[in-house]
Amino acid sequence: MYDLLIFLTLIAVGYSVGTLTEKRHYRSIHKREKAFLYLPAVTIKAVDYPEEKVRSAELVYGSVVISIDYFKKILAGLRNIFGGTVKSYESLIDRARREALLRMKEMAGDATVIVNVRIETSTIARKANKEGVGCLEAIAYGTALTLEK
Amino acid sequence: MKYTPRQPKSNVNVTPTSHIREFFVLAGGLLGLIVVIYLMLGLAVDLIVPHISIDLENKMGVHFFQSMDGKDADSQREYYVQSLMDDLQERCAKLPYRFKIHVRKASTVNAMALPGGHVIVFTGLLDKVSSENELAFVLAHEMGHYAHRDHLRAGGRAVVLMTFSALLFGVDSSVSKVLGHTLNITELSFSRKQETQADEFALETINCAYGHVGGATDFFEKIPKEQDPGKFGHYFASHPETRSRISHLNNIIRSRGFNPAKRKPLPKAIWTFIP
Repeated sequence: MYDLLIFLTLIAVGYSVGTLTEKRHYRSIHKREKAFLYLPAVTIKAVDYPEEKVRSAELVYGSVVISIDYFKKILAGLRNIFGGTVKSYESLIDRARREALLRMKEMAGDATVIVNVRIETSTIARKANKEGVGCLEAIAYGTALTLEK
Repeated sequence: MKYTPRQPKSNVNVTPTSHIREFFVLAGGLLGLIVVIYLMLGLAVDLIVPHISIDLENKMGVHFFQSMDGKDADSQREYYVQSLMDDLQERCAKLPYRFKIHVRKASTVNAMALPGGHVIVFTGLLDKVSSENELAFVLAHEMGHYAHRDHLRAGGRAVVLMTFSALLFGVDSSVSKVLGHTLNITELSFSRKQETQADEFALETINCAYGHVGGATDFFEKIPKEQDPGKFGHYFASHPETRSRISHLNNIIRSRGFNPAKRKPLPKAIWTFIP
């Protein structure tokens, strides 16, 4: 009985706080993505531009660790039983990747373009491979080119 | 190729969905499944029990037995009861079990048949019996349950779950061990018919062993009415109709011409010693 109470409290707290945090995070992501629109981040390896005009080329990266909330974790656990798309994890991964891209852009500063962008994710589980996805790390990296005007 | 900076209007990577709704649908489905499985397990007992081999039962019995708390006490009387049981089995009730008697200290006037041939006899019962024949009848009654495999049916869902676990994961797997420890095998309850059949089996057995049935009904006669049956009380709790059992036995004794004769006393040296 006592355990059930703790469980339900955790679910309620997880749902309310998790939803609030996610909404706030998305608002911030949208705002910053708009602000960084001037800086393209592309997956092509090189730009068609004379080499002597490239002022600098440097590695830029951004990484973030985001945790799932308790409610979504339980929901994903239920999903594990029946199978199907784990919708409750989708926003977690989406947020992590976009946040990592944004941090990479912040590191690039006033570069002209970021080429060869790659995004990777890895799980940071409480017990390796046992507890499932507890936390998720996303890292985005690329080469920031600053071109002569 | 020209780069046009723009923000995507919608997010294709996140499904717009109500998590709360998904949660209730999934949790409800799971709960429903559990209820269905629980009901099915109850029905599966009678189908599965005839197919459980003695060998498998013996192996599973260890786990069930370990889930019983307490230690064997009173090794002297345990030894005596064991040899009485072995003698009955050897001469008159050839059952494919290796019976092991465990004497447990408790005031309950009762004995229990656990899977795998583990028979638990409480000191409350040993203190009450006054003749070897009387004790033999109780032991033969338990053997009757083994003969008809009532003890497995009475174990109900616990036995079904354990059998599945033993077949799927192996008898010595951790799953089976955990199941054995958590399942409540002590919720034994026998039907009236099962008790009657075990009584008849016991009557035949002691008639074969002693040549008469003296002492067969003694045990029932002397049960105090106020005896607290405890949680294992399958002699009394499940049978408020003890009197009808006695008359049923007496009917058989008369119709079969069994001879109610003198009882054989218990070995005094052991019985006066109460640790």
